[in-house]
Amino acid sequence: MYLIFCHKSVILNKLIKMSLFIRNYKPGVAYNAQILWRFNSTTAETVKQGEDEEEFRVLDILHKKGKLQKRVNRRADIQPDRSEKMPTDQNWGNVWPGPRSFHPSSVPLPIRQGYVPKGQAPPGKKANAELMKIPNFLHLTPPVVKSQCEALKKFCTSWPKLLNSEEAIEKNYPMEIISSDYCHASPTIRNPLARIVTLRVKLSNLKLDSRARDKFLRLVGDKYDEKTDLVTLTADRCPVRKQNMDYVNYLLTACYHESWTVEDWETDKCLEDMEYYDFDLNPSKKNLVNWYLMSNNEDNNLNDEQVKNFDVSKIPNGVEYKSAVSELFNEGESDLALNKYDTSVRKLLGLPEKKIAN
Amino acid sequence: MLSRNLRFLSRRYSQGVTFRTTETSPSQQNENQIGLFYTVNNDVCKQLFGHGGLPKSYMKQTKTFTETSLMVRLPALDIINCIKATDFDKPVIRYMLYGEIGAGKSLTLAHLLHYAYEDGYLIVHVPWVSEWLRRVPRHKEMSNSPTHEGLVDLPLDGAAWLLHFKMQNQVLLKKGNLKISKEYVWSKREQTPEGAPLAELIEHGITRVKYACDVIDALISEIKILSNSKQCKTFVAIDGFNTFFYPLTRLSTPTKKKVTPEEVTLTKSFMELTKNDWVNGVIILTADQLGVSQDHQESHLPKYLLYKKGFEHIDPFVPVEVGRYSEREFMSCASYYRDRLWLRGPRETEGELKLASACNPYKFMELCAPL
Repeated sequence: MYLIFCHKSVILNKLIKMSLFIRNYKPGVAYNAQILWRFNSTTAETVKQGEDEEEFRVLDILHKKGKLQKRVNRRADIQPDRSEKMPTDQNWGNVWPGPRSFHPSSVPLPIRQGYVPKGQAPPGKKANAELMKIPNFLHLTPPVVKSQCEALKKFCTSWPKLLNSEEAIEKNYPMEIISSDYCHASPTIRNPLARIVTLRVKLSNLKLDSRARDKFLRLVGDKYDEKTDLVTLTADRCPVRKQNMDYVNYLLTACYHESWTVEDWETDKCLEDMEYYDFDLNPSKKNLVNWYLMSNNEDNNLNDEQVKNFDVSKIPNGVEYKSAVSELFNEGESDLALNKYDTSVRKLLGLPEKKIAN
Repeated sequence: MLSRNLRFLSRRYSQGVTFRTTETSPSQQNENQIGLFYTVNNDVCKQLFGHGGLPKSYMKQTKTFTETSLMVRLPALDIINCIKATDFDKPVIRYMLYGEIGAGKSLTLAHLLHYAYEDGYLIVHVPWVSEWLRRVPRHKEMSNSPTHEGLVDLPLDGAAWLLHFKMQNQVLLKKGNLKISKEYVWSKREQTPEGAPLAELIEHGITRVKYACDVIDALISEIKILSNSKQCKTFVAIDGFNTFFYPLTRLSTPTKKKVTPEEVTLTKSFMELTKNDWVNGVIILTADQLGVSQDHQESHLPKYLLYKKGFEHIDPFVPVEVGRYSEREFMSCASYYRDRLWLRGPRETEGELKLASACNPYKFMELCAPL
């Protein structure tokens, strides 16, 4: 019994030795060096074990090992980061008064930015070019803006009381001039962008009849926005704001008066040149009127002028038909427009309504 | 043999109720029969469509199926309903069938023609306008019109159409109570006296092909006069009407000058007919993408196909869309094809075919062909 036990303990001992051997075994220097290189670029520090005592000493003629092992002496009295010393109730406006590129020691925030390797956090704020590249608004925090506005208030006059609504402003000041002022600390106080002047006016505020309005729209082209009814004229061609302002005013004046003048060739405009479909001028109206007169057994020898002046509302369902045809031409042909046309024609001709599959 | 016949009979009987209707008179059909097929009598079919009027692929199919079956569809019923409600003392109402390629415009027109035939209308049917203006076979004959300066005649096409007209209206023409109102002098020796029956005028056009187009012109003005005086009611059906308004035809004169549609005498006659300055008639037109050249096939909507000019020529008209099959129509058509052994295989095929054909009738037929 004891013998067997003893034998067992020997085997156990052997096993332990084997495992120790495996654990401490180092394949070679080359392998170690590769691992070292791989870990070098990351923040994580490799666990470097000391020289194994049991290895043979190697003759080191070129003192290579000594160089590798040379320690960099660090200053023991290094100061902690400024951002760590900042009090929590400081005036941030004083720390960061103006626009400036990011500086890690001045910003007491745990900011991270940059490429995120798998399974790691993004790079921290120190020595981080990504944070310095992007523009920041650390100088425009809400309390700072508020205090600056307070400081500017004493230079402002109070808002007129009667201009209390958007409508009142629009009514009394129909024309709007937009320009920008720039203020910054640099050797020159001029900014080339300050010369740009934009004039905005509602088209409905200009006194134009339908012909003049049409011409005005053709003159201004895409400077008119149909949704807001605003004409926007922008000038940046002159070097000084005053000149641009004069130019914008000139543009508006010139367009306005030009749209009121009637040239000889404008009377040559025929039906094909029309930019929209006018039912009263087109043959469709003639068809409708002729049909109406014929179905009532009246003579249909109206001339063109009479047809043009014929009142469509005299015809039952004529107005609806007119709007359907106009829509078909003005808005383009679609199933919806055709359906509308269909229903209006059936009403006009006195036919039963369209059957719908159930 | 007996068992086969029995099988055939039982198949017909079992499925007959689901997709066929026994109501073969279009004027009696109603909404309950939508999607169901009815069979057109062979003699009638021969008389109406013997000289064209049905699409070629459909003709082939009728031969295969040994019957001419038309599906009762909503657009046709809608128009028949409108025609029944029409006041015939008022100017003619024009209907415009439109829809995608293969949606069944021509077959709807055929259905309506059947209705007109049963109802005793005088039928003026142009099977396919492109046949005149856009198809140029080797034997196409063109000549300058002797009566209309600067216009072009298509004598052979004209004579063929007169034959078609004669065929379709043989019952009415045989009665001989349709007389012409004035004397027509064709040449020194040839003339048609006043009060001669309409059939004589047509016969003259067929035998003297040279005058076919002039005869058509005369015939159309006579038809208008007859309709106005209530001696007959007229049903005008023109398939591919928009071809008349496409800026160019494929025809060219011997001097290589391109011919526009207005320069063809037939166009002039049928433009005259499609005006609404006469009463006691019905005009049904179709706008077809296939009737014009490829560069003008972007949309199937009538205003696009007719151009502004064509639109103004026929407005106010009633646009009637011929759409794709509805669910019910599709299933009915599928069971009809199954009955005719045109479609075989498991029941799941239908769902697949429905997706593949997007319920387009023509595409569905094409897809079923190899199955």
